[in-house]
Amino acid sequence: MYLYFGLMLKAEVSKRQDARICIIGGGGTGAAMAYDLALRGFSVILLEQGELTSGTTGRHHGQLHSGARYALGDRAIARECMEESLVLRRIAPETIEYNGGVFVAINDEEADYANAFVNACQESGIPAREVQVAEARSWEPAINHKAKKTVWVPDGSFDAFRLPLAFFAAARQLGADIKPFCKVTEIEVKAGRAVAVNTQSLCGKKEEKICCDYIVSASGAWAGMVGKLAGLDVPISPAPGTMLAVQGRISDMVLSRLAPPGDGDILVPQRGLSIIGTTQSLADNPDCILPDKKEAAFLLERADELAPGFSKRPVHAVWAAARPLAGRTSGDGREISRDFAVLSHAEEGVAGMASLIGGKATVLRAMAEKAADLVCKELGLDAVCRTRDYVLPSWRSFYKAGSR
Amino acid sequence: MSQRLAFLLLIKNDCGKDGQADAWLEFTLEAEPEDTVLDMLERLRGEGRPVPAYRHSCHHGSCGSCGAVIDGVPALMCLTRAFSLAAPHARTIGGPLTEPAMEKDGRITVRLEPLAKMEVLEGIAVHPGRLFGDIPDGLSYLVCSDAKDKAELPPEPEASSVNMRTIQKGWRQRLEACIECGLCVAVCPIKIPFIGPYALAAINRERTKYPAHEKDMLAIADKPDGAWPCDRHLYCSMVCPQAVYPAKHIQLLKNSLLRNRKS
Repeated sequence: MYLYFGLMLKAEVSKRQDARICIIGGGGTGAAMAYDLALRGFSVILLEQGELTSGTTGRHHGQLHSGARYALGDRAIARECMEESLVLRRIAPETIEYNGGVFVAINDEEADYANAFVNACQESGIPAREVQVAEARSWEPAINHKAKKTVWVPDGSFDAFRLPLAFFAAARQLGADIKPFCKVTEIEVKAGRAVAVNTQSLCGKKEEKICCDYIVSASGAWAGMVGKLAGLDVPISPAPGTMLAVQGRISDMVLSRLAPPGDGDILVPQRGLSIIGTTQSLADNPDCILPDKKEAAFLLERADELAPGFSKRPVHAVWAAARPLAGRTSGDGREISRDFAVLSHAEEGVAGMASLIGGKATVLRAMAEKAADLVCKELGLDAVCRTRDYVLPSWRSFYKAGSR
Repeated sequence: MSQRLAFLLLIKNDCGKDGQADAWLEFTLEAEPEDTVLDMLERLRGEGRPVPAYRHSCHHGSCGSCGAVIDGVPALMCLTRAFSLAAPHARTIGGPLTEPAMEKDGRITVRLEPLAKMEVLEGIAVHPGRLFGDIPDGLSYLVCSDAKDKAELPPEPEASSVNMRTIQKGWRQRLEACIECGLCVAVCPIKIPFIGPYALAAINRERTKYPAHEKDMLAIADKPDGAWPCDRHLYCSMVCPQAVYPAKHIQLLKNSLLRNRKS
């Protein structure tokens, strides 16, 4: 067998746990959870109503956040992004384009923001530094020549499908049972404890009852709907955003607006495409979110401010995805933190179940670690997280290993 | 306001291993000209209609999961737009453009089927395992190159250092163009054992990037089910949504094998 890594460490289970964990949701977080728990020795089954990563995960623009975007608002989130982007780089290198990024101040107001921004980054452990606009434009001539200030940050971009799939591949190698196209229809709660889920496959309406010792809802924007199945009220705000891709790779680096987070402020390369994102609104139902085509013109206009000429390129696709904001809001949700939380539902009368809410793709591994820690604590078992330690197998091995 | 188009979608509902007979399910809906086939399926599903299972993830032609046979030709559902189905389009690879099929009431008929040669899970969702079955898992997916007209990039933070053969300092990284959608494999007319266009394109890329792997890669191409069964129908290159041109890679492999035999 031929391997591309000189030193590929194969993850192995050191101690089997006598507990079966059911994960609901086959996105990035579910993928990282399945791997984490399987590596800790649990018997793991993961259920996803559609194809893996078909909810929010796969539609992500793919920015690997250094955390710079969040540094002024929340140093802790920024620090976590920086740490996790380096971990992902180490464990899934072939799914990441690590070309760095540039924050661009277009007007005087944004330029005034630069010092505070760089300081906040450095306080968060992000090695950001201001560079001359001419230097930034020597890396990426697409950057607006009218830029007032430019800051280098260690951003990158990743394949929003293949990165999670590498976690799934690792989980499956460790014995996790990964079941796409399997919808949870009911969560059985007996004597104050979640004990089983009932599932239905789409075609043929096959039904199956799965008994388990613990249920983790890693269903992102769907956490409210999954919670309801157990009679829970999970505070989640599905927040759809529209993204637009044009043909042509105008930049290898991620370009961001040097301003507080807002609509249309990041430009991410992806193979032969350039993506501008994102807008934000709120929805009751995260299912089947379609793009608001009226937002396309706005996104193109914003993209032109960062990289003039963007809107002259042929539009390749316009699509939308629902972020899983943790909490509730009466506004557009921008005020909600992008932090994540693991909620134990024991105090609400459903022991043996937790929901993961909020978070961002870059911190998927850390989200899984915290949630798996809670599972261990609540089951009274002692097993440490080891997902930082191994290079993940190729996503290709997930499909190679068989159909179910 | 753009004019809405009326469609009759006929979706093959194969229940895969579960043994139910194939059936075509019919759905009537309206779409904006810019809507994609995937948008249409999502809208139907959102309305609670019993749409057969389909695969999808990125919705912009990057993941490669939503391939299907659309009116006889394999394509990505997320990049096939309503207006192109309402206009004359080919019903076979490279075939003549034909007016869309219409119902008496003016609805445009579009047929969706699962990709050929793949194991059908449910509906039009297939398992793409056969794509990857014949190649080493570890074929690289990153391309690292000098940007020529652009300056060298600042180095990565040191903590990210990983034993990667692909990365050279200051060079630019990019994922391979191939999104492993399998359209090329589904459309290939070769009937004898053949590892197929996707695998051969991937191994040709590997040896191009890493000359040290030339021997291993050529050995795969030289097997009876390697490059030799290819008859150059070129359908693979015609359906590729990413302009990978698998047929070109196959020919380059054959050329090298023949050259090695002579010498």
